[in-house]
Amino acid sequence: MLSLLIQKELKNILLSPKFVATFAVCSILILMSVYIGIQEYNNAVIQYEANQEIARQDIAEASNWRSIRNILHREPTPLQIFVSGLHFDVGRLSNISTSDDIKLIRSPYSDETLFAIFRFIDFTFIVQIVLSLFAILFTYDAINGERENGTLKLAFVNPISRASYLIAKFTGIWMGLIIPLLIPILIGMLMLILFDIPVLASDWGSIASLIGLSVLYITFFIGIGILVSSLARKSSLSFLLLLVIWIGGVLIIPRLGITAAGQLVPIESVAQIEAKQDAFQRARWNQYSEDLSETWRTRSAEMEGMDEAQAQAYREEKEWEWLEEDDATRKQVQVDIIENNRVLYEEVQNQKKIQEKLAFNIARISPVSSFRLAAMNLAGTDIDMKSRYEENMRFYKDDFTDFVERKQAENPDEQGGMRIEIDESGVSIDFGRDDQTLDTSELPRFEAPVVQAGTAFGNSLLDFGLLVLFIIVTFGGSFTAFLRYDMR
Amino acid sequence: MTTEPIQAAPLLEARNLTKVYEDGVKALDNLNLKVLPGEIFAMLGGNGAGKTTTINTFLDFIQPTSGSALINSIDANQEPLEAKKYVSFVSENVQLYPNFTAMQNVDFFVRLGGQSNYERADYEHALIRVGLQREAFDKKLKDFSKGMRQKCGIAIAILKDAPAILLDEPTSGLDPKAGKEFTRLVGELRDEGKAILMSTHDIFRAKEIADYVGILNNGVLVAQKTYEELRGVNLEELYVEYMAGYMDETLESAVLTNDLD
Repeated sequence: MLSLLIQKELKNILLSPKFVATFAVCSILILMSVYIGIQEYNNAVIQYEANQEIARQDIAEASNWRSIRNILHREPTPLQIFVSGLHFDVGRLSNISTSDDIKLIRSPYSDETLFAIFRFIDFTFIVQIVLSLFAILFTYDAINGERENGTLKLAFVNPISRASYLIAKFTGIWMGLIIPLLIPILIGMLMLILFDIPVLASDWGSIASLIGLSVLYITFFIGIGILVSSLARKSSLSFLLLLVIWIGGVLIIPRLGITAAGQLVPIESVAQIEAKQDAFQRARWNQYSEDLSETWRTRSAEMEGMDEAQAQAYREEKEWEWLEEDDATRKQVQVDIIENNRVLYEEVQNQKKIQEKLAFNIARISPVSSFRLAAMNLAGTDIDMKSRYEENMRFYKDDFTDFVERKQAENPDEQGGMRIEIDESGVSIDFGRDDQTLDTSELPRFEAPVVQAGTAFGNSLLDFGLLVLFIIVTFGGSFTAFLRYDMR
Repeated sequence: MTTEPIQAAPLLEARNLTKVYEDGVKALDNLNLKVLPGEIFAMLGGNGAGKTTTINTFLDFIQPTSGSALINSIDANQEPLEAKKYVSFVSENVQLYPNFTAMQNVDFFVRLGGQSNYERADYEHALIRVGLQREAFDKKLKDFSKGMRQKCGIAIAILKDAPAILLDEPTSGLDPKAGKEFTRLVGELRDEGKAILMSTHDIFRAKEIADYVGILNNGVLVAQKTYEELRGVNLEELYVEYMAGYMDETLESAVLTNDLD
């Protein structure tokens, strides 16, 4: 009986114009997004490789170790084809030098502002927005529509249980929606192979998890659709209610989470932090000046009673000691300022982490947030992508700095910069390139952060669990509502 | 030694059936009726009289406040899945799946009713019997008129082959020809031994075909007459008087003896 009901439900959906529309729209959108994603990825790879080559050439052309600089680029990942996440918004390069701090700058959208106007539509966007709307279209009249049509009553004249009917209804709609999702995405995966995209085994695992996540997300919307259709007597009312729920869940709650977290955990602005840093720096240097004056007064006091010659001799005797003392005090001031800046930075980072966690937890009231966060985690284009890269770049910078300092120590006579010679024949400028060739073969290599599929899945587990919970709640609710449903 | 005639068990029976809604409205008040195999019981009554409530109680769409609705001696509200094996239903406005053809709809609902051994020829035979044109068999229901849908509905009921049939205003909105065809079919089904409980507004059709006519008013079965008792009776007048609620024995006697036919 159950299989008969499922067959009927599936057949009813497959023969309906809304299935044809869903299949056509999903196929066009998903295949278009994968194709454009592949093109974007290939362009990003070409750009990445070209930039890496330029950086290598710059290093090779450096005249001395003192002036050597490196630029590291963020490596494109094939998974950004499906989940662009923050890929287009996070900077794609950072300067590596002994003096500059690590900061990813020049995001793809900051370089290509035109594309930022009509942002790239990726697979997750299609699932998040388009398929969830189609799920509503498929389910808003699942129960009350059949009641209005009279087919519900005609079906229940026969010896069928309400549970069987609801399971069949859910299964039929589920299959009717999964087909337009799976067929295009499988073709999309085939396109990755045809276009020679270097997808690792780990990436295939992430893509499989992403498809599973999308299926869960759609299942939730089917559940909520059937629940509302079981609660509202009229299909027009259930459509309206579902539209409101969709707007709340997809558009409002995720943003509300961010706003609420901003209010609950306020973080000082960059200007405020800089003002604090400046104030400390000024105070510390003022203190240093006062201390220095006091020191010199003490030193002068030590020379009281000495005649000029004795004082001169004493000064000469103490000169290096005093210079070293002053230098140590000055260095201590610099250390204090750096330490203060570090503490302030860490405080802000900790506050940001708290705010971020709160924002996500509030946003997770909506399964849309769980879907989006989990998808970005799986693809590695999540909010931590920037910090992961910057952290690895900082490690690299330490290695790089050590390496450069070692090389400088090995070449103490090395002169930096250019040399200008003026003789009878005129002025000649020498950049020193011909004098020596830097051996960069031992230069540390940057290892881009890699998120393994297992780790990514582990990071997404909470959101997977939440989606499953939401599904259980909606289906439990649907069953409860339908068992009490007035068939008339 | 005298022999009592063997009385067949009723296939449809309402025993002290009462339904009081949450708002206090009494839709059925201690209703008692029986429909035996080969009988048609027509329930007459105005809107809100309790006709559809009675049918809905037999179909377990409504739980009675007290009493019971029995199908083949099975309580329809206690064991609905078992009871529904023995009953078919045709509503006032049969609605089927518009994206399916007549044949697909019939196939689905008949199999849902537990009959899975039929072949296309059996469906065709039933559809021809109810008067549907052969060229309509494979057309989608969205192009069907109400009469055509009603024919599909009765074909489904015939093919389910249940011993009891519930008809809720089945001829409402049908043209006279379709109504007459429908009446003929119901008569045939009665002759095949089906027990039929029919709610209707159509006094003349009820009188023409029913073995029993019951008049419901505010959930109370105010009158129940056999076909023989109604012979020569102005049923319309009787109905109106009962509905007005001031029928007394004198008037009833006068109406029953006045042959206006």
